[in-house]
Amino acid sequence: MLVIRRRAGQAVRIGDEIEITVIETAGGTVKLGITAPRQIPVLRKEIALALEENRRAALAVPPERLEELLGRLRRAAPEEVSRR
Amino acid sequence: MPYCETRYFGALEYSEGAVLDFPEGLPGFPSEKRFILIEQPPHHPVVFLQSLSSAELCFLAVPVQCVDPDYRPVFLAEDLATLGFSPEAQPRLGLDLLCLAIVFVGQEGSATANLLAPVVINLHNRRAVQAVQAEQAYSHRHPLALLEVAQCS
Repeated sequence: MLVIRRRAGQAVRIGDEIEITVIETAGGTVKLGITAPRQIPVLRKEIALALEENRRAALAVPPERLEELLGRLRRAAPEEVSRR
Repeated sequence: MPYCETRYFGALEYSEGAVLDFPEGLPGFPSEKRFILIEQPPHHPVVFLQSLSSAELCFLAVPVQCVDPDYRPVFLAEDLATLGFSPEAQPRLGLDLLCLAIVFVGQEGSATANLLAPVVINLHNRRAVQAVQAEQAYSHRHPLALLEVAQCS
């Protein structure tokens, strides 16, 4: 990972079109200003993770495999109990 | 009563009063604002979050306490507002809120639960939001132990 030290008011450029400015630092948080072309999504990372995971989960279980995949979850449990 | 086409269970009747209202949609699905919760006893504790506008969109989910009994979500003021609570409100899980973790099931049957972004439902007005936990270290791919799922009541 490239690490760059910046002060409030200073900025970083990524390529020709993306600029990230440090606006303010206070109380352990950093306020950033981001300029990017409209077609490049800018998201907080946790929102991006939630978005990716939602899309992944929505496609995970095809209707014809629902009974089989959930059945495996259920069947595996009694073995775990008996091993105690 | 109206009915809807579902991804897993064919056409189902539902009551308008049971519809969950997601004013903001969900991350990745911003225009999906109306869902119903389908519970099928054989699949307990897995529940199904079925979109009313897209039959093919249905999330599998489990109550968060089935995954982690100590799970404590923290809500942003904007999420509380979406749910219809005041910024100072401290709604309680189970009494005021239903909190679900969306489940991913792999092709081999291994599963993970999304504890980073729980689906939170206000039980008083059926409003819902996916309340991403920015300030906490919960994983979006928390391993879902089979024992926990089976024993959760």
